[in-house]
Amino acid sequence: MNHQEDQNWLLRVRGLTKIFGQPCDSSIAQTGPEHATNICPETGAVVAIADIGFDLYPGEVLGIVGESGSGKSTLVQLLHFDQEASGGRVLFQEVDQGRTNILALSNQRKRFIKNHLMGMVYQNPRDGLNFNFTAGGNIAEKLLMAGTFHVGKIRGRAGYLLTQTEVPVLRMDETPASFSGGMQQRVQISKAVANNPPLVFFDEVTSGLDVSVQAKVLDLIRKLQQESGISMIVVSHDLGVIRMLTDRTIVLKHGRMVEHGLTDQILQDPQHAYTQLLVSSLL
Amino acid sequence: MATLLKVANLHKEFTLFIPGAKKIRALENVSFDMEEGEILGLTGKSGAGKSTLMKCIYRTYLPTSGSIRMHLANGGVSNIAHAPEHEVLSIRRTEMHYCSQFLHAIPRVPALEVVSEGLRVRGYSREDASGQAQKCFERLALPEELWNAYPSTFSGGEQQRVNISRAVLSRPRLLLVDEPTASLDLKTKDAVIDILLELKASGTSILLITHDAHTLNRLCDRCLHLENGALRNAVPVRNTEKV
Repeated sequence: MNHQEDQNWLLRVRGLTKIFGQPCDSSIAQTGPEHATNICPETGAVVAIADIGFDLYPGEVLGIVGESGSGKSTLVQLLHFDQEASGGRVLFQEVDQGRTNILALSNQRKRFIKNHLMGMVYQNPRDGLNFNFTAGGNIAEKLLMAGTFHVGKIRGRAGYLLTQTEVPVLRMDETPASFSGGMQQRVQISKAVANNPPLVFFDEVTSGLDVSVQAKVLDLIRKLQQESGISMIVVSHDLGVIRMLTDRTIVLKHGRMVEHGLTDQILQDPQHAYTQLLVSSLL
Repeated sequence: MATLLKVANLHKEFTLFIPGAKKIRALENVSFDMEEGEILGLTGKSGAGKSTLMKCIYRTYLPTSGSIRMHLANGGVSNIAHAPEHEVLSIRRTEMHYCSQFLHAIPRVPALEVVSEGLRVRGYSREDASGQAQKCFERLALPEELWNAYPSTFSGGEQQRVNISRAVLSRPRLLLVDEPTASLDLKTKDAVIDILLELKASGTSILLITHDAHTLNRLCDRCLHLENGALRNAVPVRNTEKV
Protein backbone atom coordinates (compact mmCIF):
# COMPACT_ATOMS: atom_id res chain seq x y z
CA MET A 1 0.00 0.00 0.00
CA ASN A 2 1.19 3.54 -0.57
CA HIS A 3 2.50 5.65 2.24
CA GLN A 4 -0.03 8.39 1.81
CA GLU A 5 -2.59 6.24 3.54
CA ASP A 6 -0.44 6.30 6.63
CA GLN A 7 -1.27 9.98 7.03
CA ASN A 8 -4.99 9.25 7.32
CA TRP A 9 -4.91 8.82 11.09
CA LEU A 10 -7.59 10.46 13.18
CA LEU A 11 -5.62 10.71 16.41
CA ARG A 12 -1.86 10.59 16.82
CA VAL A 13 -0.41 10.23 20.31
CA ARG A 14 3.32 10.52 21.00
CA GLY A 15 5.28 10.38 24.27
CA LEU A 16 2.21 10.87 26.42
CA THR A 17 3.23 11.00 30.08
CA LYS A 18 1.51 11.70 33.38
CA ILE A 19 3.35 11.88 36.67
CA PHE A 20 1.65 12.55 40.00
CA GLY A 21 3.83 14.17 42.68
CA GLN A 22 7.36 15.55 42.41
CA PRO A 23 9.37 13.69 39.77
CA CYS A 24 13.18 13.71 39.63
CA ASP A 25 15.38 13.25 36.58
CA SER A 26 15.39 9.48 36.94
CA SER A 27 11.72 8.94 37.84
CA ILE A 28 10.89 7.55 34.42
CA ALA A 29 14.08 5.51 34.12
CA GLN A 30 13.51 3.87 37.49
CA THR A 31 9.92 2.85 36.95
CA GLY A 32 8.06 0.60 34.51
CA PRO A 33 7.53 -3.14 34.03
CA GLU A 34 11.23 -4.02 34.33
CA HIS A 35 11.32 -2.38 37.76
CA ALA A 36 7.93 -3.86 38.65
CA THR A 37 6.67 -0.54 39.96
CA ASN A 38 5.42 2.84 38.83
CA ILE A 39 6.55 4.63 42.00
CA CYS A 40 9.81 6.54 41.81
CA PRO A 41 12.15 5.18 44.54
CA GLU A 42 13.79 8.61 44.98
CA THR A 43 10.84 10.93 45.39
CA GLY A 44 7.78 8.69 45.63
CA ALA A 45 6.25 10.29 42.52
CA VAL A 46 3.78 8.04 40.72
CA VAL A 47 4.49 7.61 37.02
CA ALA A 48 0.92 6.80 35.95
CA ILE A 49 1.84 6.52 32.28
CA ALA A 50 5.02 7.30 30.38
CA ASP A 51 5.95 7.55 26.73
CA ILE A 52 2.69 6.19 25.30
CA GLY A 53 2.45 6.42 21.52
CA PHE A 54 -0.06 5.13 18.97
CA ASP A 55 -2.17 6.15 15.98
CA LEU A 56 -5.92 5.69 15.78
CA TYR A 57 -7.49 5.49 12.33
CA PRO A 58 -11.02 6.56 11.37
CA GLY A 59 -13.65 3.93 12.16
CA GLU A 60 -11.25 1.88 14.27
CA VAL A 61 -11.92 0.58 17.74
CA LEU A 62 -8.82 0.48 19.90
CA GLY A 63 -8.74 -1.52 23.13
CA ILE A 64 -6.61 -0.71 26.15
CA VAL A 65 -6.04 -3.56 28.60
CA GLY A 66 -4.00 -4.01 31.73
CA GLU A 67 -4.46 -4.69 35.40
CA SER A 68 -5.78 -2.14 37.89
CA GLY A 69 -3.30 0.69 38.30
CA SER A 70 -1.61 0.13 34.96
CA GLY A 71 -2.66 3.56 33.71
CA LYS A 72 -5.60 2.69 31.43
CA SER A 73 -8.04 5.25 32.79
CA THR A 74 -5.35 7.93 33.13
CA LEU A 75 -4.61 7.51 29.44
CA VAL A 76 -8.16 8.23 28.27
CA GLN A 77 -8.65 10.95 30.87
CA LEU A 78 -5.62 12.78 29.48
CA LEU A 79 -7.01 12.48 25.96
CA HIS A 80 -10.39 13.78 27.17
CA PHE A 81 -8.70 16.68 29.06
CA ASP A 82 -10.06 15.44 32.40
CA GLN A 83 -6.51 15.60 33.66
CA GLU A 84 -3.51 17.58 32.54
CA ALA A 85 -0.64 15.65 30.93
CA SER A 86 2.93 16.03 32.22
CA GLY A 87 4.29 15.66 28.71
CA GLY A 88 3.70 14.43 25.20
CA ARG A 89 1.83 15.41 22.06
CA VAL A 90 -1.66 14.60 20.85
CA LEU A 91 -2.67 15.50 17.31
CA PHE A 92 -6.31 15.29 16.26
CA GLN A 93 -7.20 15.42 12.57
CA GLU A 94 -10.39 17.36 13.34
CA VAL A 95 -8.41 20.22 14.91
CA ASP A 96 -6.24 22.31 12.54
CA GLN A 97 -5.91 19.26 10.23
CA GLY A 98 -3.85 17.54 12.89
CA ARG A 99 -1.08 20.13 12.97
CA THR A 100 -1.59 21.34 16.55
CA ASN A 101 -0.78 19.61 19.82
CA ILE A 102 -4.23 19.74 21.40
CA LEU A 103 -2.77 19.31 24.89
CA ALA A 104 -1.24 22.76 24.57
CA LEU A 105 -4.44 24.56 23.57
CA SER A 106 -6.30 27.06 25.75
CA ASN A 107 -8.92 25.73 28.15
CA GLN A 108 -11.59 27.34 26.00
CA ARG A 109 -10.54 25.46 22.89
CA LYS A 110 -10.15 22.24 24.87
CA ARG A 111 -13.72 22.65 26.10
CA PHE A 112 -14.90 23.19 22.53
CA ILE A 113 -13.13 20.02 21.36
CA LYS A 114 -14.52 18.04 24.29
CA ASN A 115 -18.09 19.23 23.67
CA HIS A 116 -18.13 19.05 19.88
CA LEU A 117 -15.69 16.37 18.83
CA MET A 118 -15.48 13.87 21.69
CA GLY A 119 -17.70 11.75 23.88
CA MET A 120 -16.85 9.97 27.12
CA VAL A 121 -18.59 7.13 28.92
CA TYR A 122 -17.34 6.58 32.47
CA GLN A 123 -17.44 3.43 34.54
CA ASN A 124 -19.61 5.19 37.09
CA PRO A 125 -22.69 6.82 35.52
CA ARG A 126 -22.50 9.52 38.23
CA ASP A 127 -19.30 10.81 36.60
CA GLY A 128 -20.91 11.23 33.20
CA LEU A 129 -24.50 12.13 34.09
CA ASN A 130 -25.98 14.93 36.15
CA PHE A 131 -28.35 13.21 38.54
CA ASN A 132 -30.24 16.46 39.16
CA PHE A 133 -31.31 16.53 35.51
CA THR A 134 -33.73 14.18 33.79
CA ALA A 135 -32.48 11.53 31.35
CA GLY A 136 -33.63 13.70 28.45
CA GLY A 137 -32.09 16.76 30.12
CA ASN A 138 -28.72 15.05 30.30
CA ILE A 139 -28.77 14.36 26.58
CA ALA A 140 -29.97 17.91 25.95
CA GLU A 141 -27.04 19.24 27.97
CA LYS A 142 -24.55 17.63 25.58
CA LEU A 143 -26.49 18.83 22.52
CA LEU A 144 -26.71 22.39 23.89
CA MET A 145 -22.99 22.47 24.56
CA ALA A 146 -22.40 21.29 21.00
CA GLY A 147 -24.51 24.12 19.65
CA THR A 148 -28.01 22.72 19.07
CA PHE A 149 -30.58 25.08 20.60
CA HIS A 150 -33.88 24.08 18.97
CA VAL A 151 -35.98 22.48 21.73
CA GLY A 152 -38.02 20.34 19.35
CA LYS A 153 -34.88 19.04 17.68
CA ILE A 154 -33.28 18.31 21.03
CA ARG A 155 -36.28 16.37 22.34
CA GLY A 156 -36.54 14.51 19.05
CA ARG A 157 -32.88 13.47 19.15
CA ALA A 158 -33.10 12.51 22.83
CA GLY A 159 -36.18 10.39 22.13
CA TYR A 160 -34.48 8.72 19.18
CA LEU A 161 -31.32 7.92 21.18
CA LEU A 162 -33.26 6.55 24.14
CA THR A 163 -35.25 4.32 21.79
CA GLN A 164 -32.03 3.13 20.16
CA THR A 165 -30.60 2.31 23.56
CA GLU A 166 -33.84 0.63 24.68
CA VAL A 167 -34.57 3.08 27.47
CA PRO A 168 -38.38 3.59 27.57
CA VAL A 169 -39.03 7.06 26.12
CA LEU A 170 -41.86 7.41 28.65
CA ARG A 171 -39.19 7.70 31.31
CA MET A 172 -37.27 10.44 29.50
CA ASP A 173 -38.42 13.03 32.05
CA GLU A 174 -37.29 11.06 35.10
CA THR A 175 -33.89 11.54 36.68
CA PRO A 176 -31.38 8.72 36.15
CA ALA A 177 -31.32 8.17 39.92
CA SER A 178 -34.49 6.10 39.58
CA PHE A 179 -32.97 3.92 36.81
CA SER A 180 -31.18 0.58 37.10
CA GLY A 181 -27.40 0.50 36.58
CA GLY A 182 -27.70 -0.85 33.05
CA MET A 183 -30.23 1.83 32.10
CA GLN A 184 -28.08 4.58 33.58
CA GLN A 185 -25.18 3.31 31.52
CA ARG A 186 -27.30 3.36 28.36
CA VAL A 187 -28.41 6.94 29.08
CA GLN A 188 -24.75 7.85 29.53
CA ILE A 189 -23.91 6.27 26.16
CA SER A 190 -26.79 8.16 24.52
CA LYS A 191 -25.40 11.37 25.96
CA ALA A 192 -21.85 10.64 24.81
CA VAL A 193 -22.88 10.02 21.19
CA ALA A 194 -25.72 12.58 21.08
CA ASN A 195 -24.01 15.01 18.69
CA ASN A 196 -22.29 12.27 16.60
CA PRO A 197 -18.74 13.04 17.71
CA PRO A 198 -15.97 11.41 15.64
CA LEU A 199 -14.24 10.02 18.75
CA VAL A 200 -15.74 8.38 21.84
CA PHE A 201 -13.96 6.97 24.91
CA PHE A 202 -15.39 4.12 26.97
CA ASP A 203 -13.86 3.51 30.40
CA GLU A 204 -14.82 0.14 31.92
CA VAL A 205 -18.43 0.67 30.93
CA THR A 206 -19.65 -2.83 31.68
CA SER A 207 -17.90 -3.43 35.00
CA GLY A 208 -20.45 -4.06 37.69
CA LEU A 209 -23.27 -5.03 35.32
CA ASP A 210 -24.63 -8.56 35.23
CA VAL A 211 -23.89 -10.59 32.09
CA SER A 212 -27.21 -10.14 30.28
CA VAL A 213 -27.17 -6.37 30.80
CA GLN A 214 -23.51 -6.36 29.88
CA ALA A 215 -24.31 -8.13 26.59
CA LYS A 216 -27.01 -5.54 25.91
CA VAL A 217 -24.66 -2.60 26.49
CA LEU A 218 -21.89 -4.17 24.39
CA ASP A 219 -24.34 -4.91 21.59
CA LEU A 220 -25.46 -1.29 21.70
CA ILE A 221 -21.90 0.03 21.45
CA ARG A 222 -21.17 -2.32 18.55
CA LYS A 223 -24.31 -1.23 16.68
CA LEU A 224 -23.58 2.47 17.18
CA GLN A 225 -20.07 1.90 15.89
CA GLN A 226 -21.24 0.02 12.80
CA GLU A 227 -23.97 2.47 11.95
CA SER A 228 -22.04 5.69 12.33
CA GLY A 229 -18.42 4.54 11.97
CA ILE A 230 -17.32 6.39 15.13
CA SER A 231 -13.74 5.78 16.23
CA MET A 232 -13.57 4.45 19.74
CA ILE A 233 -11.06 3.85 22.49
CA VAL A 234 -12.29 1.16 24.86
CA VAL A 235 -10.64 0.67 28.25
CA SER A 236 -11.33 -2.63 29.94
CA HIS A 237 -9.67 -5.20 32.13
CA ASP A 238 -12.15 -7.74 30.70
CA LEU A 239 -10.59 -9.52 27.72
CA GLY A 240 -14.03 -10.73 26.62
CA VAL A 241 -15.15 -7.13 26.17
CA ILE A 242 -11.93 -6.35 24.30
CA ARG A 243 -12.37 -9.38 22.02
CA MET A 244 -15.93 -8.44 21.20
CA LEU A 245 -15.53 -4.73 20.60
CA THR A 246 -12.05 -3.91 19.40
CA ASP A 247 -9.94 -4.25 16.24
CA ARG A 248 -6.59 -3.43 17.82
CA THR A 249 -5.30 -3.58 21.36
CA ILE A 250 -2.64 -1.94 23.50
CA VAL A 251 -1.43 -3.72 26.65
CA LEU A 252 -0.31 -1.53 29.56
CA LYS A 253 1.74 -2.55 32.57
CA HIS A 254 3.05 -0.16 35.23
CA GLY A 255 2.21 2.74 32.95
CA ARG A 256 4.09 1.51 29.89
CA MET A 257 2.96 -0.03 26.64
CA VAL A 258 4.32 -3.58 26.73
CA GLU A 259 2.61 -4.79 23.58
CA HIS A 260 0.31 -3.69 20.78
CA GLY A 261 -1.27 -5.61 17.93
CA LEU A 262 -4.43 -6.79 16.25
CA THR A 263 -6.83 -7.91 18.98
CA ASP A 264 -7.02 -11.52 17.79
CA GLN A 265 -3.23 -11.62 17.63
CA ILE A 266 -2.87 -10.23 21.16
CA LEU A 267 -5.32 -12.87 22.43
CA GLN A 268 -4.04 -15.86 20.45
CA ASP A 269 -0.36 -15.13 19.97
CA PRO A 270 0.71 -12.76 22.75
CA GLN A 271 4.39 -11.84 22.45
CA HIS A 272 5.06 -10.39 25.90
CA ALA A 273 5.31 -12.47 29.07
CA TYR A 274 2.80 -10.26 30.84
CA THR A 275 0.24 -10.50 28.02
CA GLN A 276 0.60 -14.30 28.03
CA LEU A 277 -0.10 -14.31 31.75
CA LEU A 278 -3.11 -12.04 31.23
CA VAL A 279 -4.53 -14.15 28.40
CA SER A 280 -3.96 -17.42 30.24
CA SER A 281 -5.90 -15.98 33.19
CA LEU A 282 -8.99 -15.66 30.99
CA LEU A 283 -11.87 -17.78 32.26
CA MET B 1 -2.92 -16.59 -14.11
CA ALA B 2 -1.71 -13.85 -11.83
CA THR B 3 -0.17 -14.53 -8.46
CA LEU B 4 -2.35 -13.60 -5.51
CA LEU B 5 -0.19 -14.65 -2.60
CA LYS B 6 3.54 -15.23 -2.34
CA VAL B 7 4.74 -16.81 0.88
CA ALA B 8 8.53 -16.89 1.23
CA ASN B 9 10.78 -18.45 3.90
CA LEU B 10 8.12 -18.26 6.54
CA HIS B 11 9.17 -19.24 10.06
CA LYS B 12 7.00 -19.29 13.13
CA GLU B 13 8.25 -19.96 16.60
CA PHE B 14 6.17 -19.65 19.76
CA THR B 15 7.93 -18.56 22.93
CA LEU B 16 6.17 -19.66 26.08
CA PHE B 17 7.05 -17.63 29.15
CA ILE B 18 6.58 -20.42 31.61
CA PRO B 19 9.20 -21.29 34.23
CA GLY B 20 12.21 -22.32 32.14
CA ALA B 21 10.95 -20.48 29.02
CA LYS B 22 10.16 -22.78 26.15
CA LYS B 23 10.30 -22.34 22.40
CA ILE B 24 8.09 -24.28 20.02
CA ARG B 25 8.94 -24.35 16.35
CA ALA B 26 5.69 -24.49 14.38
CA LEU B 27 6.67 -23.53 10.82
CA GLU B 28 10.02 -23.90 9.13
CA ASN B 29 11.01 -22.20 5.93
CA VAL B 30 7.62 -22.42 4.23
CA SER B 31 7.50 -20.99 0.69
CA PHE B 32 4.74 -21.26 -1.89
CA ASP B 33 2.71 -19.21 -4.36
CA MET B 34 -1.01 -19.09 -4.74
CA GLU B 35 -2.64 -18.14 -8.03
CA GLU B 36 -5.69 -15.97 -8.43
CA GLY B 37 -8.88 -18.03 -8.63
CA GLU B 38 -7.43 -21.34 -7.47
CA ILE B 39 -8.41 -23.57 -4.60
CA LEU B 40 -5.31 -24.68 -2.76
CA GLY B 41 -5.58 -27.55 -0.31
CA LEU B 42 -3.48 -27.80 2.84
CA THR B 43 -3.03 -31.27 4.29
CA GLY B 44 -0.99 -32.89 7.01
CA LYS B 45 -1.35 -34.64 10.36
CA SER B 46 -2.78 -32.87 13.37
CA GLY B 47 -0.07 -30.59 14.71
CA ALA B 48 1.75 -30.39 11.37
CA GLY B 49 1.21 -26.61 11.26
CA LYS B 50 -1.75 -26.24 8.87
CA SER B 51 -3.77 -23.89 11.06
CA THR B 52 -0.64 -22.05 12.15
CA LEU B 53 0.19 -21.31 8.52
CA MET B 54 -3.35 -20.12 7.87
CA LYS B 55 -3.36 -17.92 10.97
CA CYS B 56 -0.01 -16.41 9.95
CA ILE B 57 -1.55 -15.44 6.61
CA TYR B 58 -4.46 -13.80 8.45
CA ARG B 59 -1.96 -12.26 10.94
CA THR B 60 -3.71 -13.77 13.93
CA TYR B 61 -0.23 -15.19 14.50
CA LEU B 62 2.74 -12.92 14.11
CA PRO B 63 5.32 -14.63 11.83
CA THR B 64 8.82 -14.87 13.35
CA SER B 65 10.50 -14.25 9.99
CA GLY B 66 9.81 -14.47 6.28
CA SER B 67 7.25 -12.68 4.14
CA ILE B 68 3.64 -13.07 3.02
CA ARG B 69 3.05 -10.82 0.04
CA MET B 70 -0.53 -10.33 -1.08
CA HIS B 71 -1.34 -8.66 -4.39
CA LEU B 72 -4.21 -6.34 -3.64
CA ALA B 73 -7.20 -5.33 -5.74
CA ASN B 74 -5.85 -1.78 -6.08
CA GLY B 75 -2.67 -3.11 -7.70
CA GLY B 76 -0.51 -2.68 -4.60
CA VAL B 77 1.34 -5.37 -2.68
CA SER B 78 1.19 -5.76 1.08
CA ASN B 79 3.56 -7.86 3.16
CA ILE B 80 1.05 -9.11 5.69
CA ALA B 81 3.81 -10.52 7.89
CA HIS B 82 5.01 -7.02 8.79
CA ALA B 83 2.35 -4.57 7.56
CA PRO B 84 1.03 -1.96 10.04
CA GLU B 85 -2.06 -3.06 11.95
CA HIS B 86 -4.48 -0.69 10.23
CA GLU B 87 -3.32 -1.91 6.83
CA VAL B 88 -4.03 -5.54 7.78
CA LEU B 89 -7.43 -4.48 9.15
CA SER B 90 -8.30 -2.79 5.90
CA ILE B 91 -7.30 -5.93 3.92
CA ARG B 92 -9.45 -8.05 6.25
CA ARG B 93 -12.42 -5.75 5.78
CA THR B 94 -12.31 -5.82 2.00
CA GLU B 95 -10.28 -8.69 0.59
CA MET B 96 -9.54 -11.50 3.01
CA HIS B 97 -11.85 -13.57 5.18
CA TYR B 98 -10.96 -16.26 7.68
CA CYS B 99 -13.49 -18.97 8.43
CA SER B 100 -12.33 -20.87 11.50
CA GLN B 101 -13.44 -24.29 12.70
CA PHE B 102 -15.40 -22.70 15.47
CA LEU B 103 -17.86 -19.86 15.40
CA HIS B 104 -17.07 -16.98 17.72
CA ALA B 105 -20.66 -15.91 18.18
CA ILE B 106 -21.41 -12.44 19.40
CA PRO B 107 -23.77 -12.64 22.38
CA ARG B 108 -27.42 -11.78 21.74
CA VAL B 109 -27.13 -11.42 17.97
CA PRO B 110 -29.45 -13.72 15.95
CA ALA B 111 -27.95 -16.00 13.27
CA LEU B 112 -29.55 -14.08 10.40
CA GLU B 113 -28.02 -10.85 11.64
CA VAL B 114 -24.59 -12.40 12.24
CA VAL B 115 -24.51 -13.35 8.58
CA SER B 116 -26.17 -10.29 7.01
CA GLU B 117 -24.19 -7.77 9.08
CA GLY B 118 -21.16 -8.01 6.81
CA LEU B 119 -23.31 -7.23 3.78
CA ARG B 120 -24.98 -4.27 5.45
CA VAL B 121 -21.63 -2.77 6.36
CA ARG B 122 -20.80 -2.92 2.64
CA GLY B 123 -23.91 -0.97 1.76
CA TYR B 124 -26.62 -3.56 1.07
CA SER B 125 -30.09 -2.72 2.35
CA ARG B 126 -31.44 -4.62 5.36
CA GLU B 127 -33.92 -6.57 3.18
CA ASP B 128 -31.38 -7.44 0.52
CA ALA B 129 -28.75 -8.57 3.03
CA SER B 130 -31.26 -10.58 4.99
CA GLY B 131 -32.61 -12.17 1.78
CA GLN B 132 -29.16 -13.31 0.71
CA ALA B 133 -28.49 -14.76 4.16
CA GLN B 134 -31.80 -16.65 4.12
CA LYS B 135 -31.03 -18.11 0.70
CA CYS B 136 -27.67 -19.33 1.93
CA PHE B 137 -29.21 -20.88 5.07
CA GLU B 138 -31.79 -22.65 2.92
CA ARG B 139 -29.15 -24.16 0.68
CA LEU B 140 -27.20 -25.36 3.68
CA ALA B 141 -30.39 -26.80 5.20
CA LEU B 142 -30.17 -24.77 8.40
CA PRO B 143 -33.61 -25.24 10.03
CA GLU B 144 -35.73 -22.12 9.63
CA GLU B 145 -36.66 -21.95 13.32
CA LEU B 146 -33.00 -21.26 14.07
CA TRP B 147 -32.65 -18.23 11.82
CA ASN B 148 -33.66 -15.79 14.50
CA ALA B 149 -32.09 -17.69 17.39
CA TYR B 150 -28.70 -17.02 18.99
CA PRO B 151 -25.88 -19.14 17.48
CA SER B 152 -24.19 -19.65 20.86
CA THR B 153 -26.98 -22.16 21.58
CA PHE B 154 -26.50 -24.06 18.28
CA SER B 155 -24.94 -27.49 17.73
CA GLY B 156 -21.45 -27.74 16.21
CA GLY B 157 -22.73 -28.45 12.71
CA GLU B 158 -25.28 -25.63 12.84
CA GLN B 159 -22.64 -23.16 14.00
CA GLN B 160 -20.37 -24.29 11.20
CA ARG B 161 -23.05 -23.54 8.63
CA VAL B 162 -23.58 -20.04 10.07
CA ASN B 163 -19.83 -19.54 9.87
CA ILE B 164 -19.63 -20.71 6.25
CA SER B 165 -22.61 -18.56 5.24
CA ARG B 166 -20.91 -15.52 6.68
CA ALA B 167 -17.67 -16.34 4.86
CA VAL B 168 -19.35 -16.97 1.51
CA LEU B 169 -21.52 -13.85 1.61
CA SER B 170 -18.53 -11.65 2.40
CA ARG B 171 -17.21 -12.61 -1.08
CA PRO B 172 -13.54 -11.97 -0.35
CA ARG B 173 -10.73 -12.19 -2.90
CA LEU B 174 -8.99 -14.64 -0.62
CA LEU B 175 -10.89 -17.02 1.63
CA LEU B 176 -9.10 -19.03 4.29
CA VAL B 177 -11.21 -21.98 5.46
CA ASP B 178 -10.28 -24.37 8.22
CA GLU B 179 -12.16 -27.70 8.07
CA PRO B 180 -15.41 -26.39 6.56
CA THR B 181 -17.06 -29.79 6.37
CA ALA B 182 -15.83 -31.49 9.54
CA SER B 183 -19.06 -31.80 11.48
CA LEU B 184 -21.51 -32.11 8.59
CA ASP B 185 -23.37 -35.05 7.04
CA LEU B 186 -22.66 -36.08 3.44
CA LYS B 187 -25.51 -34.17 1.85
CA THR B 188 -24.73 -30.91 3.66
CA LYS B 189 -21.06 -31.45 2.94
CA ASP B 190 -21.86 -31.49 -0.77
CA ALA B 191 -23.96 -28.35 -0.42
CA VAL B 192 -20.97 -26.59 1.19
CA ILE B 193 -18.68 -27.85 -1.57
CA ASP B 194 -21.08 -26.58 -4.26
CA ILE B 195 -21.26 -23.16 -2.65
CA LEU B 196 -17.46 -22.94 -2.39
CA LEU B 197 -17.14 -23.94 -6.07
CA GLU B 198 -19.57 -21.17 -7.03
CA LEU B 199 -17.51 -18.74 -4.98
CA LYS B 200 -14.42 -19.85 -6.87
CA ALA B 201 -16.24 -19.37 -10.18
CA SER B 202 -17.00 -15.79 -9.15
CA GLY B 203 -13.27 -15.16 -8.69
CA THR B 204 -12.44 -15.97 -5.07
CA SER B 205 -9.22 -17.85 -4.30
CA ILE B 206 -9.54 -20.35 -1.48
CA LEU B 207 -6.95 -21.82 0.87
CA LEU B 208 -8.51 -24.89 2.43
CA ILE B 209 -7.56 -27.14 5.32
CA THR B 210 -9.32 -30.48 5.41
CA HIS B 211 -8.80 -34.07 6.48
CA ASP B 212 -11.70 -35.19 4.34
CA ALA B 213 -10.62 -36.88 1.07
CA HIS B 214 -14.01 -36.29 -0.58
CA THR B 215 -13.90 -32.53 0.10
CA LEU B 216 -10.28 -32.37 -1.02
CA ASN B 217 -10.93 -34.20 -4.28
CA ARG B 218 -13.98 -32.25 -5.24
CA LEU B 219 -12.54 -28.83 -4.43
CA CYS B 220 -8.79 -28.54 -4.76
CA ASP B 221 -6.80 -27.65 -7.86
CA ARG B 222 -3.54 -28.23 -6.04
CA CYS B 223 -2.49 -29.44 -2.67
CA LEU B 224 0.32 -28.63 -0.24
CA HIS B 225 1.40 -31.14 2.35
CA LEU B 226 2.89 -30.10 5.70
CA GLU B 227 5.02 -32.34 7.90
CA ASN B 228 6.38 -31.08 11.21
CA GLY B 229 5.98 -27.49 10.09
CA ALA B 230 7.79 -27.93 6.77
CA LEU B 231 6.34 -28.17 3.29
CA ARG B 232 6.67 -31.39 1.33
CA ASN B 233 6.48 -31.16 -2.46
CA ALA B 234 3.23 -29.81 -3.82
CA VAL B 235 1.24 -32.70 -5.24
CA PRO B 236 -1.51 -32.65 -7.86
CA VAL B 237 -4.83 -33.33 -6.23
CA ARG B 238 -5.39 -36.72 -7.90
CA ASN B 239 -2.59 -38.23 -5.84
CA THR B 240 -3.94 -37.07 -2.53
CA GLU B 241 -6.55 -39.78 -2.09
CA LYS B 242 -4.01 -41.94 -0.32
CA VAL B 243 -2.62 -39.14 1.85
